[in-house]
Amino acid sequence: MALFHDRNTPMIDRYRWWEVIAIYAGIFVFLFFLLAPFIEGFLVSLKPLAELFSTPYSFWPENGSFTAYVTMWERVPGFAWYVFNSFLISTVSTLIVLLLVVPAAYAFARFDFRGMGLVLGGFLAVSMFSGAVLLIPLFRLMRSLGMLNTYWAMIIPGAAFLIPSAIWLLRTYMMRIPNELNEAAWTDGASQFYTFRRVVLPIASPGIIVVAIVTFIGAYSQQFIFALTFNSKTEYMPLPIGLYAFFGKQDVVWNELMAAAFVGIAPAMVIIFFLQRYLVGGLTAGAVK
Amino acid sequence: MGQLSLKNVVKTFGQFEVVKGVSLDVAEGEFVVFVGPSGCGKSTLLRMIAGLEHTSSGDIVIDGKRVNDLPPVKRGIAMVFQSYALYPHMSVFENIAFPLRVERAPEAVIREKVTAAARILHLDQRLQQKPGQLSGGQRQRVAIGRAIVREPGIFLFDEPLSNLDAALRSDMRIELTRLHKQLGATMIYVTHDQIEAMTMADRIVVLNAGYIAQVGAPLELYHKPQNTFVAGFIGNPRMNFLPVTCTAATDAGAAIDWQGKAVTIPVDAPPDAVGKTLSLGIRPEHLLLTGGEMTLTVTPSVVEHLGQQTIAWASQGEGAAPFCTVLPGDQHVVADRPVTIGFNAADCHLFDENGQALERRFTPGSAAG
Ligand SMILES: Nc1ncnc2c1ncn2[C@@H]1O[C@H](COP(=O)(O)OP(=O)(O)OP(=O)(O)O)[C@@H](O)[C@H]1O
Ligand SMILES: [Mg+2]
Repeated sequence: MALFHDRNTPMIDRYRWWEVIAIYAGIFVFLFFLLAPFIEGFLVSLKPLAELFSTPYSFWPENGSFTAYVTMWERVPGFAWYVFNSFLISTVSTLIVLLLVVPAAYAFARFDFRGMGLVLGGFLAVSMFSGAVLLIPLFRLMRSLGMLNTYWAMIIPGAAFLIPSAIWLLRTYMMRIPNELNEAAWTDGASQFYTFRRVVLPIASPGIIVVAIVTFIGAYSQQFIFALTFNSKTEYMPLPIGLYAFFGKQDVVWNELMAAAFVGIAPAMVIIFFLQRYLVGGLTAGAVK
Repeated sequence: MGQLSLKNVVKTFGQFEVVKGVSLDVAEGEFVVFVGPSGCGKSTLLRMIAGLEHTSSGDIVIDGKRVNDLPPVKRGIAMVFQSYALYPHMSVFENIAFPLRVERAPEAVIREKVTAAARILHLDQRLQQKPGQLSGGQRQRVAIGRAIVREPGIFLFDEPLSNLDAALRSDMRIELTRLHKQLGATMIYVTHDQIEAMTMADRIVVLNAGYIAQVGAPLELYHKPQNTFVAGFIGNPRMNFLPVTCTAATDAGAAIDWQGKAVTIPVDAPPDAVGKTLSLGIRPEHLLLTGGEMTLTVTPSVVEHLGQQTIAWASQGEGAAPFCTVLPGDQHVVADRPVTIGFNAADCHLFDENGQALERRFTPGSAAG
C-alpha cells in the first residue's frame, strides 16, 4: 500500500495508492489546461512557417529549430527597444505605486480617522473599473496635462489604476503586525517615523514584495491599452505594440511572433523570479506570545 | 529616581469608567504588585503610568514632576509587555539595543550595556539568534533586557510570566526578585497569580472594579483583610464565609452564635454590632480534623488528595460557594461521608453587613497556624 511514503512520513500525509494516482491525475489535468496555450505557443515558435499551414496539422514540430528566435530580430529591428520600453514603464509604475501605497496602507492599517471607511470603499469601487472604460476622459486629462506621446502617458494611468487594489492588499498584511510592537517602540522613545522605518517596513517586506509582483504584472499586462490611445510615437511603444509588427501585409509570421512573445516576457519573469526569492514566511515568529 | 504618586487617577473609555479614582504612593526601590480579578483595570492603570493611555483626570507624579502629558521616554519608565512585543526581524542583540539606538548612543556604549544586560539575564549565548528561535522564558528575558538597558527609575510589568509554564514561572519569579535587588529600581508588577504577588511584593495593591480594595504587605493582607473582597481574593483556596449572629460585644471580642453554638472572636466589636448578622470568615487551611474551639460537621462531595495536603469541598447549597477544608498531609477523608472539623476563634475573621472587617487583635508572625 505504501507508495510514495516511508516510515518517517507523518500519518496525516500518507495516502493509499489510488489516492496518489487520483491526486497526480488531477494535477496533470489542471496543469495541462493551464499550460496548453503556452506549450502550443512554444511549439509553434520552433516550427518553420510552412509547417504551420500543413494539413494534417502536426502538433510536434517535425524539423524544429530555434531559427525564429534569430530571424525575429532582423524582421523587427526595434524589438529590443519595445521590450525595454515595456520594462521601463512597468518598473517605473511599480516604483511609483510602492512609494505611494506603502505609507498609505500603513496609515489605513494603523490609524483610525474620519472617513476612512468611505475612502477604502471608494478605492474598491475605483478598482472595479478597468482603465478601458475611462479612456476618453483620461485622454482629455492627458492632453490638458500635455502628457500625450510621452512615457508618462503610459506610466501614470497604469499606476493610478493599480494603487487601490495594492492598498487593500498591503493594508490587510500590515493589520496583522501586532500593535504592541508600535507601543513597545514608542515607550522606548522611537518616533512614529522611526518605528515605521525600523520596525514596520522590515516586517511588512514580504507583503510589499507580493504587492510589487502583482503591480509589476498588472502594469506589464495593461500598458498596451494606454499605449494605443495616448501614444503615437514608435520609440515609446511597449512590447504588445511591438508584437503587431510581426503582422505582415498579407500574412502573420506566427513562429517569429511566438518567439518574440516568449523573449518579451523573459525580463519580467527574471524580475519576478528575483523578487520572490525574498518572499520568506514566518517573519513575525517570536514577536508576541 | 523612581518615586511614583497617583493622585485620584481616573480613566474613562467613552461612557465607561474603568479606573475610578486611584490614589497611591510608591516609594523609590519598592516592589509593588497590582492584583485583582480580570477586567478590574490593572492593565489600564499600568498603561496610564507608562504613558500609553491618556489619563482622564487626576495626576501622575514621578519624582515630584507631573508627567500626565509626557511621552513614555520622558517619564523615566520602561515597560515589559505581557506578549513580549519583540521585534521579530532583529537579533536578540538588536532587540536589547533598540532603545539605545533610538537615542543614538555610541556603538561602544551599546555593546557594553547590551553585554552587561545579557549577562544578568543569562542571554550571552543567544545574542545572535532571532526571537523566533527562542523559548518563551528566553523571549521574556529579552523583553526584560530591553527594559534594563534604558536604566529606568521605574519598571512596569504587565503579567510578564503569564505565558510561561509553571516550572519556568517559578524560575523567572526568583530571577525577577534577584534582578530587583540587583538594580534597586522601583518595580510595578501586574499579575493575577497569587503566588507571584505574595512572594515578590513589598506591597500588594488589590484592585476591585476600578477601585483600590486594600494596599498592604502580603502577610498583612492575608492576616488582616479589610473587607470580604480582599479576604476572598488573597489566599487560595479562598476563605469560607458563614453567616453568624452577634450576641454581645465585650472587651474580649465579639460573641457570636452560629446554629446554636457560641464562641467569642477576638476582634474590636462596636456595640451596635449586637443583634446583627455578620460574616464569619475562616480560611480552609485553618480548619482542623481534631480539636478546635468550635466544631461543625460537613459532608464533602469532592475530596482531592495531593499528598502534601488533602482538600475537601462541601456544597453549601445552590448558588453559595462550596465550603473548603484544607488538611495537612494525606488524611482519611471520604467523599459523601460526614466529617467533623474544628477551628479556633483566633483564626477567624468577622465582617459586618457591608463586608468591612472588624479589626482583628492579631500581630502578624505570632500565629501558630
Ligand atoms: N481601549 C479600550 N476601550 C474600551 N474599553 C476598554 C479599553 N481597554 C480596556 N477596556 C475595558 O477596561 C476594563 C479593564 O481592562 P484592563 O485591560 O485594564 O483589565 P485587566 O485588569 O488588565 O484585566 P486582565 O487581568 O484580564 O488583563 C475592561 O472591562 C475592558 O473591557
Ligand atoms: Mg491586563
